[in-house]
Amino acid sequence: MIFNSVVFLLFFLPVFFILYGVTPSKYKNFTLLAGSLFFYAYGNPKNLVFLMGSLVVNFFLGLHLGVGGNNRQKDHNYKKNNKNSRGQRRRRFLLAAAVAGNLGALAFFKIADCLGKGAGLPLGISFYTFQILSYLIDVYRGEVAREYSLVKLGVYVSMFPRIGSGPIICYNEVEGALNRRRFTMDDFQRGLKLFTAGLAAKVLLADRIGILWHDVQTIGFESLSTGMAWLGALAYSMQLYFDFFGYSLMAVGLGRMLGFELPMNFRRPYMARTVREFYRRWHITLGKWFCKYVYVPLGGSRRGELRTVFNLFLVWFLTSLWHGLTPNFLIWGGVLWLCIVLERQMARTHLGERFKVLPHLYLWAVIPVTWMCFAITDLRELGVYLGRMFGVFQGINVRTGDWLDALQKYGLYFGAAFLGCTPGAEKLYRKFKDTRAGELVLVVLFWFCVWRLTMEGNNPFMYLNF
Amino acid sequence: MRGMMNRGENGKRFFLVMFLVCGIFYMAFVDPERIYAAPLGEVYAWVKERTGAQEGQSVSGGSLVTDYKETEEELREPQDGSMGAVSEGNLSGPETETAPDPTESSVPESEAVVSTKDTGAQPDSGEPGEIVYTSVEDDYFSDALFIGDSRIVGMFEYGGLEETAEFYAETGLTIYKLLETTVPDAQDPSRKITIEESLSQRQFGKIYMMVGINEMGTGTPETFLEKYTEVVNRIRELQPDAVLYIQGIMKVTTERSAQGDYITNEGIEIRNEGLAGLADNVKTFYLDANPVVCDETGGMEPTYTYDGVHLKAQYILQWKDFLKEHAVVS
Repeated sequence: MIFNSVVFLLFFLPVFFILYGVTPSKYKNFTLLAGSLFFYAYGNPKNLVFLMGSLVVNFFLGLHLGVGGNNRQKDHNYKKNNKNSRGQRRRRFLLAAAVAGNLGALAFFKIADCLGKGAGLPLGISFYTFQILSYLIDVYRGEVAREYSLVKLGVYVSMFPRIGSGPIICYNEVEGALNRRRFTMDDFQRGLKLFTAGLAAKVLLADRIGILWHDVQTIGFESLSTGMAWLGALAYSMQLYFDFFGYSLMAVGLGRMLGFELPMNFRRPYMARTVREFYRRWHITLGKWFCKYVYVPLGGSRRGELRTVFNLFLVWFLTSLWHGLTPNFLIWGGVLWLCIVLERQMARTHLGERFKVLPHLYLWAVIPVTWMCFAITDLRELGVYLGRMFGVFQGINVRTGDWLDALQKYGLYFGAAFLGCTPGAEKLYRKFKDTRAGELVLVVLFWFCVWRLTMEGNNPFMYLNF
Repeated sequence: MRGMMNRGENGKRFFLVMFLVCGIFYMAFVDPERIYAAPLGEVYAWVKERTGAQEGQSVSGGSLVTDYKETEEELREPQDGSMGAVSEGNLSGPETETAPDPTESSVPESEAVVSTKDTGAQPDSGEPGEIVYTSVEDDYFSDALFIGDSRIVGMFEYGGLEETAEFYAETGLTIYKLLETTVPDAQDPSRKITIEESLSQRQFGKIYMMVGINEMGTGTPETFLEKYTEVVNRIRELQPDAVLYIQGIMKVTTERSAQGDYITNEGIEIRNEGLAGLADNVKTFYLDANPVVCDETGGMEPTYTYDGVHLKAQYILQWKDFLKEHAVVS
């Protein structure tokens, strides 16, 4: 099931929240787990088998990885004193096996998917595998206590707001809420407002502006004018952002409705001035995961510039693989890595600080180009597209002025999208969300989105492919 | 749920109350059958796919839902433009899906049609003396009118004839509402008149038609042909001197055809056979451009298209060249 479907909005959501509301606090996790599994299995029960298997196996692995009770100091001392003891070696081996097993399963599905065999990626596998790894590593490190309740761990891994596309969180971020959380009408209302904002971003903006990207592909890259090629790249950039941003808002909103505080995945990325900054504001929880479990353990930036460059390379290489195994993702990650390395050198000159607009222009030129490497999986096609963007590839049957027509047709959406990228949109939301007028607008938006969805069918989220 | 209304003092629950009121209103009055039909359709498709998968496990092993979702997305595409027509086809699609099958064996015109269809496809070896095709230049289209769906929109945008010929093309256009569709008035472009009115005001030398893919989900090949005949007769009545070219529906890729919804190349072939029979080869001709855009599997060449339905801009020229080589000059 996905958030922007009629089944979810008009059937699952009300039925689930009534059940959730009447369940006594003590058993709310049961209801949430049951609801989440239903949500996950709906339409494709086969995926549930793998999720459940993975959950149970990792639950027991977690139990064996932890030591002692809930006392972290004791745990720390134990490790310190028994660094090479048999128990410690066993734990280290177990962790290595667990990480390898989970990543192996993920790699298996990704490779099968890449080769066009198998049944496609199980929904959300890239996301929940990372959740599970985070839990196992944290238990091993003693940062969280092992979880003795399969239900609680199950909720952590599979709660329906997050199962599809994150946000990816660490266990200790929700541990408190899993044990004790409040389900209040205030939170429910606040969450629903946020959910509505996300739904509108997805249905009214991402899906609309995405049609231009679809048109560009229908025309064929060989026949795009340079203007149209850039406009197409821009359209895709906006579509991807509002698609994933909308999803993330919905997830956070749903979390709040349930009594959880989930982290935001985006912080106005297109307002950044460098690629480095962009990726600290884009898909924040994935970036944090790689930082915590790959970059920092390798030494981060503390071991000299050369080592830092290598660490960054590894992080971006893995990030590329996480998104997909086709070579275009490697190009995408490679270009970003290069930009980041160069920016690190540039930063020492403090040259960028003197300019106000230039860094923004740089970002708005680089990011859409890299998104094309992200979007176009066929290398030849990618070459043609980039060639058309920079006027290198000779066009075939190009219609001059095609981009003006497109701009006329989609100008309104572009305008709304640009506004949505600025802090202004957020301020507007904050200012009006609790006023009568603002609330009325949100209510109307919600039902208008539902109406649009019934009219044209739903359009799956783009990050569900990963 | 009732609890939240009771606590609605000071308008604290204004949002939730309005939300529910609006929701009840929406569920009760705005298109309720769509709301309930969509999920029921999903459940139906799921059950059907499941039972289907059990019968033939070897088909592809593809996941049920993924396949279904793709289909759904594809269905949505043609109506991205402006018209709501396809959505009717969209919903009724699953029900009428099986319609072409029983009729396949009983197309009344089929025997009579084959010969004329052949002449359309292979002009050079056609029946002697019947149709003489001439190669023409772009100026041949200066008094031509193109009527059709998104494929003709593609011809308008990338055929290089937008200055030369007149185009009455709209994404999602079907034969059922062709005559009622509005176009700008030639004398006063700010005014909108129907195609029927426009045809009665203004005479064209040639009229090229191509519709038929959007209506595959609604009705049967018979009802389609019946309506098509009616429209052709009406156009003939309004434009007695024009040469009318009925273009066979362009096929989709074999992959797209096998996707499992109502758009199939078999369905297109049945309809095209019927369309070929409408030609009198005096003033009305049947043209089938499929041989120049299809591969050996009988579907559209996969490299010619992104979505399996619409030709990429550079290949629209091949279709145009086909039309230029198949002009009838009286």
